[in-house]
Amino acid sequence: MTSDLMSLDALLPVLPEIALALGALALLMAGVFLKGETHASVSGIAIGLLVAVGVLALLYPIDGVLFNGVFVADGFGRYMKTLILIGSALALVLSLSSAGENGLAKFEYSVLVVLATLGMMIMVSANDLMSLYIGLELQSLALYVVAAIKRESTRASEAGLKYFVLGALSSGMLLYGASLIYGFTGQTQIDEIAKVLSLGDRSLGLTVGLVFLLAGLAFKISAVPFHMWTPDVYEGAPTPVTAFFASAPKVAAMALLIRVVMDSFEPIALQWQQIVIFLSVASMVLAAFAAIGQKNLKRLIAYSSIGHVGFALVGLSAGSQGGVDGVAIYMAIYLTMTLALFACLLALRTEDGFAEQISDLSGLAQTKPFIAATMAILMFSLIGVPPLAGFFAKWYVFLAAVEAELFVLAVIGVLASAVSAFYYLRIVKVMYFDEPVLQFAAAPAELRVVMGAGAFLLVTYFFTVGAPLGAWAHNAAGSLF
Amino acid sequence: MTLSLFFFYLFAIVLVGAAVMVVSSRSPVHSVLFLILAFFNAAGLFMLAGAEFLALMLIIVYVGAVAVLFLFVVMMLDVDFAELRQGFLQYAPIGLVVGIILALELIMVAVGFVVTPEVASASAVAIDPTLSNTEALGRVLYTRYVFLFEGAGLVLLVAMIGAIVLTLRHKPGIRRQDVGAQVARTPAMSVENVKVKSGQGL
Amino acid sequence: MNEFLHALDYLLGLSFFGWGTEIGFVWKALLLLVALLIFIAFVLLADRKIWAAVQMRRGPNVVGAFGLLQSFADLLKFVFKEPVVPAGADKVVFLLAPLLTVTLSLAAWAIIPLDFGWALADINVGILYILAISSLGVYGIIMGGWASNSKYPFLSALRSAAQMVSYEVSIGFVIITVLLCVGSLNLSDIVLAQNGGGLATMLGMPALTFLNWYWLPLLPMFVIFFISALAETNRPPFDLVEAESELVAGFMVEYGSTPYMMFMLGEYVAIITMSAMMTILFLGGWASPLDFAPFTWVPGSIWFIFKVCAAFFMFSIVKAFVPRYRYDQLMRLGWKVFLPISLAAVVVVALVLQLTGWGWTPGVA
Repeated sequence: MTSDLMSLDALLPVLPEIALALGALALLMAGVFLKGETHASVSGIAIGLLVAVGVLALLYPIDGVLFNGVFVADGFGRYMKTLILIGSALALVLSLSSAGENGLAKFEYSVLVVLATLGMMIMVSANDLMSLYIGLELQSLALYVVAAIKRESTRASEAGLKYFVLGALSSGMLLYGASLIYGFTGQTQIDEIAKVLSLGDRSLGLTVGLVFLLAGLAFKISAVPFHMWTPDVYEGAPTPVTAFFASAPKVAAMALLIRVVMDSFEPIALQWQQIVIFLSVASMVLAAFAAIGQKNLKRLIAYSSIGHVGFALVGLSAGSQGGVDGVAIYMAIYLTMTLALFACLLALRTEDGFAEQISDLSGLAQTKPFIAATMAILMFSLIGVPPLAGFFAKWYVFLAAVEAELFVLAVIGVLASAVSAFYYLRIVKVMYFDEPVLQFAAAPAELRVVMGAGAFLLVTYFFTVGAPLGAWAHNAAGSLF
Repeated sequence: MTLSLFFFYLFAIVLVGAAVMVVSSRSPVHSVLFLILAFFNAAGLFMLAGAEFLALMLIIVYVGAVAVLFLFVVMMLDVDFAELRQGFLQYAPIGLVVGIILALELIMVAVGFVVTPEVASASAVAIDPTLSNTEALGRVLYTRYVFLFEGAGLVLLVAMIGAIVLTLRHKPGIRRQDVGAQVARTPAMSVENVKVKSGQGL
Repeated sequence: MNEFLHALDYLLGLSFFGWGTEIGFVWKALLLLVALLIFIAFVLLADRKIWAAVQMRRGPNVVGAFGLLQSFADLLKFVFKEPVVPAGADKVVFLLAPLLTVTLSLAAWAIIPLDFGWALADINVGILYILAISSLGVYGIIMGGWASNSKYPFLSALRSAAQMVSYEVSIGFVIITVLLCVGSLNLSDIVLAQNGGGLATMLGMPALTFLNWYWLPLLPMFVIFFISALAETNRPPFDLVEAESELVAGFMVEYGSTPYMMFMLGEYVAIITMSAMMTILFLGGWASPLDFAPFTWVPGSIWFIFKVCAAFFMFSIVKAFVPRYRYDQLMRLGWKVFLPISLAAVVVVALVLQLTGWGWTPGVA
């Protein structure tokens, strides 16, 4: 009946979330009451807020289960939250230089991004089907609005509407699954569900509930066959918004999926593993072949991200600590590659817009050698060529799959990777061997920093960040087992 | 058959009938009106289950506010019925299959409750029969479920921000009424007494 | 079978057959209904008389002494006219709308306590029930406006839907402030709470019970409630629904005869319901304003009716001397003035109650 909050100190594990929520409200006030053009200053404060919350979470790592088991703060959550905060903050940085053209010159954009980030943090820390849904909905609702925020563009509105309708459908499936699970176990709390499951009494209804729940989550990470919205939304939404969509929300949804299957459905691992393996294979294969025919860069990135989700799921299919370890590293590297890639795209500004088609990149090596080199590094890393970071990302997940004796899955993964090399290399070829067609303006400083830092980290991964990141991910994954 | 069972079947049958009419009705306005009827009967079912607070909230929130806006939108839309029905027939088989699957699952769940009744009794919060259900809800909403409550509040805030961002337009060059300025105006600020000499004008 | 007999007994209370113990529910309801309708007849007349008096006219004065029977003459006129349904109208919805209006507004009276224990149904969530019923009032108007299949009624229906939904919000918050003080949703409890101590007791003058009532400590809320009630019932100065200068006669343009009368009746019952709500929430319900001799001899129900009449007088006098609001000003008042004030009031009242420990615990009175 009563709450477990007896003093203010008990709230410490949830401090980052509280700080972010209060900060979002303060930002909203600032946006409304400051005079003049407020979007740039509000964006600046929002970036500062996200960074500050990240620092707060890392400096005061307090574990705990709060609010009668609804919320859990642990090492895994902190790792994923750090990635999410970095992703959101950098997505806001990327949006700064082209806010005007993309219809983002409104202070509400930063506020919505901050609130979406809060939703993601709640998702990551969700220890209950109810807080899972609240976090997911907070995140999704903010994303639907952000997708359509460029009101005058019909494509952006279409993207927003499509995302909203399909997202509502997936939320419906998720809720249906959650209600079945609650009905058959009598519990909404994730670890309590696991306890009921381990007693052995498992009915068919529970499996159906699991399928629906996973389908809802698969939509959020855009795994095949729930990927249909991804290319359209990525293409239609303004590019900085797409950068945001492709980074932080993916990490959050993946973290949520890991926590749900690892904590709560651990006793019925065989059932969920089948589903995850299917999602993984379908995503890898479909993305590899569908991306070949794409001419639009953002659609290509959409299929590429579907494929990468497939690869990350390979690690999860193993169902071992090593697998989760691999997924955690994969998401960090995926985040770096995605943000650097969008920094390149946003830097390619012509007089009447941005480079959107692959053919627009022709001869980029002659006009913009730095951007072309960065993109080439990114492409090789996305393929997984050693010694770039992308190779290690795939290495860890395939290793986990092999250790779990999922040989077929690993082989399919390697083959899909080889097929996908074709379309990544085509971009490199267009950039280096075709004649230049477009003239691009000078890239803003912050984009160059993001590109340079991203490329540097990817190239020197093995010598610099690889070891500490691996250790951290290992610790994080350990907190789940 | 007891009296409450009689009312249960009455509400349930009308509810299902109204729900069918929502989908099959020709005019969209009639559909919304049937939807309201369905809400009412659902509220009746809540009432029978002893959840009077929930029942009245369903009426106040869904019927009193949400459905009014539905009706509002539907009345102003110009819907082509013929085209709509064509689409309906085209997709009816798929809808039917999905519906049957969902119905089968629901039956399965119901059967599950009958077969393992101990599952249903594992309620999250013990029910105290001495409290009215408004009070019982109030006691857990701000204590046990405060995190979810605040989270839901943020979801609504996002919805509000979204609605404003996507619809509010500040057209330039429009003179807006400033009530404060109007009220603050005194005769001394706006009226000037001029002594006009007769026969000369101003 | 026994249960059915029991239920039948409760409803009909056929004591002469040897089953019943008290008067049946149906008879009580019928009695209330008839009394209410007769009351409404005179309230309608009073409305016209007050309006006339302000304009220095005589008002209806031909039918009966001082025109007392005017409403009954109007009733006969309406009933004997031919009901006309426009050719393009949606017949079912068109006729359903006035019926719905009347039924809903009368349904609210099922739980209003005229005196201690004098409610047809003294339910625990009484105030929510009233709120639910009054929030449904908009359907009569919106259905009537749409089903008429005509421009002006439709515009009027859209206006009124927006207006009523807007003002419901501030009414809801005002009611919440009262509920915070009472701690119960039961209407009888709300009245008991106001008479169970308050300002008069604090000042050491417990005989002046009218100082105990919530109109004084919650004065701003009382004012907001009154103005919102005007808007909620579409009374002037917020009668934009039928603004005759722009919308001819609003949603009722196509109505005549008995359906028109039903709308009219529903509107007045809703006004009386709102007056009764003001009486219960802020004016101490059935209690006498002064707790000594000649006043305490008067029965509670008489005090209740007296207070309802006083509240209605305010409704009526406002109609006579306040000009009609412009629509955008109406919306501004609702959303930008009343909503923030009532929202802040909820916080302030809750804070004061928490800090001082005031408020009411059931059973003390």
